[in-house]
Amino acid sequence: MSGTELFVAVIKIAIVLGFLLNMAAITTWADRRQSAMIQDRVGPNRAVIYLPAWLVRAVVLGGGVLVAAAIAVPFWAKHPGLESARITTGIEIAILVVWTTLLLISARVRKDSDGVAPYRDGADSAFEERVAQLAPRTYFYAGLIAQLAALFFAQLAPAGFIVRGSSFGPGVAGSLAALAILLAAGYSAGRVGEDPVPLRLAGMLHALADAVKLIWKEDLRPRGADRLLFALAPMLAMFPALVTMAVVPFGSTLCFIDFDRDKVLSFADLAHLAPVVGPSGACSAGQLAVSLSIANLDVGLLYVFAIAGTGVIGAAIAGWASNNKWALLGGLRATSQMVSYEVALGLSIVGMFMVAGTVNLQKLVDWQGQNAWGIFVQPLAFVLFLVALVAETKRVPFDQPEGESEIIAGYFLEYSGMKFGMFYTGEYIEFVFSSVLLVTLFFGGYHLPFLDPDGLRITLGSDLIYELKLTHLAVSAIHIATFFGKTILMVWLQLFIRWTLPRFRYDQLMRLGWTRLLPLALLNIVLTGAAVLALESAGEPLGNAVAIAADISQSLVALAALGGSVLFVTGLLEPSRTKRITASSAAQMALAEGGIRAGKMQA
Amino acid sequence: MEPLDVELEDGELELPNDPMQVLMGPAHPAMHGTIRIALELSGETIRKADVQIGYLHRGFEKMCERGTWTQCFPYVDRLNYASPLLNNVGFALAVEKMLSVTVPERCQHYRVALGELARICDHLVCLGAMAMELGAFTPFLYYVKARELIWDVFEEETGARVTHSFGRVGGMALPPTPFFKEMVRSAVPAVLALVDDGEKLLLKNRIFLDRIENVGVMGKDMALALGWTGVVLRATGVPYDVRKSHPYMTYDRYEFEVPVGTRGDCYDRFMCRAEEMRQSARIIEQALDMMADDGPVSIEDPRIVLPAKDEVYSTIEGTIQHFKIVMEGIQVPAGECYSYTEAGNGELGFYIVSDGSGTPYRVRIRPPCFASTQGLERMIVGAMLPDVVPTFGSINMIGGECDH
Repeated sequence: MSGTELFVAVIKIAIVLGFLLNMAAITTWADRRQSAMIQDRVGPNRAVIYLPAWLVRAVVLGGGVLVAAAIAVPFWAKHPGLESARITTGIEIAILVVWTTLLLISARVRKDSDGVAPYRDGADSAFEERVAQLAPRTYFYAGLIAQLAALFFAQLAPAGFIVRGSSFGPGVAGSLAALAILLAAGYSAGRVGEDPVPLRLAGMLHALADAVKLIWKEDLRPRGADRLLFALAPMLAMFPALVTMAVVPFGSTLCFIDFDRDKVLSFADLAHLAPVVGPSGACSAGQLAVSLSIANLDVGLLYVFAIAGTGVIGAAIAGWASNNKWALLGGLRATSQMVSYEVALGLSIVGMFMVAGTVNLQKLVDWQGQNAWGIFVQPLAFVLFLVALVAETKRVPFDQPEGESEIIAGYFLEYSGMKFGMFYTGEYIEFVFSSVLLVTLFFGGYHLPFLDPDGLRITLGSDLIYELKLTHLAVSAIHIATFFGKTILMVWLQLFIRWTLPRFRYDQLMRLGWTRLLPLALLNIVLTGAAVLALESAGEPLGNAVAIAADISQSLVALAALGGSVLFVTGLLEPSRTKRITASSAAQMALAEGGIRAGKMQA
Repeated sequence: MEPLDVELEDGELELPNDPMQVLMGPAHPAMHGTIRIALELSGETIRKADVQIGYLHRGFEKMCERGTWTQCFPYVDRLNYASPLLNNVGFALAVEKMLSVTVPERCQHYRVALGELARICDHLVCLGAMAMELGAFTPFLYYVKARELIWDVFEEETGARVTHSFGRVGGMALPPTPFFKEMVRSAVPAVLALVDDGEKLLLKNRIFLDRIENVGVMGKDMALALGWTGVVLRATGVPYDVRKSHPYMTYDRYEFEVPVGTRGDCYDRFMCRAEEMRQSARIIEQALDMMADDGPVSIEDPRIVLPAKDEVYSTIEGTIQHFKIVMEGIQVPAGECYSYTEAGNGELGFYIVSDGSGTPYRVRIRPPCFASTQGLERMIVGAMLPDVVPTFGSINMIGGECDH
């Protein structure tokens, strides 16, 4: 392994670990914040870092300049044949930045219809007042229309208008985008509040502060506990959670030009990302491929199951070593539950292997990108896998091993300080990783519908409907963002499950695992096998029908994603209609004083 | 190679299979109200259970013998701290029975309205805690939010959110505020809407139903034998409600129904409580309609009710009257009586004895929880460890009144 490869591997490990640890902190925060949001009360939001205003301004402005430069400079490079697509991209970015900025200003400044604006600042200038005349939603709809319009008008532009081989058009478009970003950054920098500026990150610092607190807490060991095993258990619980992600690809394979022509990746090559790749995404001859998974193993998912299966050892040892009956009960429950559900977990995914013909996660993801997402190919397996996965991560409704109202805290009852913190972090990382696994196996990994490695291409069967070429860099960036975005969506879904459902009783859980999930998983294997055989023997016509069905599934996903995001943003921008009962004397007094302004620490 | 059928001595290679003894409580998350259950487990099945109470014993009855009758009100607040106003009214009624006085009708409606609000609070806490202990956190938050709406009303009326000490012998501490009806009429529908939201999350949920159906079953006869009253008794199918069977105050003039269960399991207790909240809302509505907007809330007897503050400061009669009641207490004629009302958990009885002085000679409370907690052991033996949680939650044991 060359030094460069080592460097790349370290970068990849840093990205994955950074993502997992940050997401663990964020999900801890979200779990704790959920209750505060529902109840409309103060959430955990005490941790704050005060920054001098000049520093905040410098960060905002400097960040803006950096991003602007990072966007503008590559646009001046020559990429023959991509002029139209690059002009479109530049204009799209510019439009996006403009309407988002206007929307944010309006949302920040605009008063509600009743004049009570609990979270609002009020206008600073005549410009802001004018911007605030329109509701945030108006900016959103207008921006959306502008983006779609730009997409189609750029396609309609006459071919002669774009000078082939010249970087002038894309350069101007890129500079336009950079200008918009610079303006937005400059405006934000000018709007930074009074010195010192409190940095709370919406309360997310609180979770980090908790971790710091845990490190300094006293580490108690109960009398009679096994000294070695007691200390070993938290490490055993956290370790598998951290290493399982190694085989998951978090972006499409990057192709670098072999700049120094030595067929080995060197630092010089790293600076030369291939401008475009073919529609299959495979690197052409003379290019060096860098896979975006830490280890692209052929055993892929088997590795995941093998390592994740050892997670139970930590729980079992913790339960045994604590010298506490409740902890022992928790350890026993954890062991039997995880062993039982491991079976269903493994069997439910077998159908997917049969269809895709591989257990390599990279290939599995690529198969989904070329055909259809796993959830459409194996809907039953998805449900089974989701249930078994929640059970594996020991979260509600399967949190018997730690069910706090029954066996107090289960196997980590006697742990305190950072040892407790390690169990906690390990659990949340497992939770994030379970979302990663769902995304990789059933939601197409980093793929977006119709986004091929060389650009956007909407097809139905063999008919081409729309095409927009994109550079390798743009597609790779979209892929990485997509992967992490999808993961966060899955985390969000699982958080909802946790906050909605009560927990099973222990025997009900076992019955569900062995008498429902297991037979259904076996049935799924049989059905899938029959379907695969039928497809192979049927030949061409059925194959075409399946291809069209796959494209329809992709369009469904695309439509659902678009509609979902529009609904989501519209919902976020809904004018707040708080109905307060103002009959009490305290409420009337507050109303006479000009309404209630939410405190800084309010959720 | 040794033969496989080698004779093993009995128990030589067997693991010890003594049942596991665990103490659930008093510092156990599900044992709210501080109670301890000594359990003997076989696996997770409960072989034996010994319910031990007394961890919240505060000598309430003895404390009452130290001060005046009026000074008992803060103590009775803390009996069932989920619905203090019901206890206040219950105690006031007991002393008024000894004095043979009846409060004005406006006050009776006021007491009923406040009491039924407190009952809704009580049931909200019970159902919310029960759901939360089964892991369903969101319904709990809905219920607590609903309780918050009622507590806002209480805060406005009594000045306190939890322990109001608002009852007085011969009336209430203060007349209703001018906003009272408006506030209650806007709060109660909002509360019921939140209750509906919470129920939608729970009762359409297979997991929740599996956890509470046929769990903690109690038969009708055994419930009566144990002296159960209130919701837990009605859930077994006995339609005994003090408000219907022995109406006190103005309860005979309201239209409301008494929900009863059929099986006496956790599900029935849950549903009875949920339905009682809706019936309480009906009662509140009627009480508000019947309650006059002005008129006295306290009886006009200077020996029982404190004079207005301006009279205390400006007239000698007022000063003396105030002094006598505060320093010597209300002179309750010698004798004894038992007075009982329907509190949040069942029949709350006060057996009081007076020796004719301003201080109670004896105050004996008949807490509904004491009887229901007796039945806990019968409900959980043979069940699994996790079943203790909904069963204990559904009988709503409140340590304050149980450990009297």
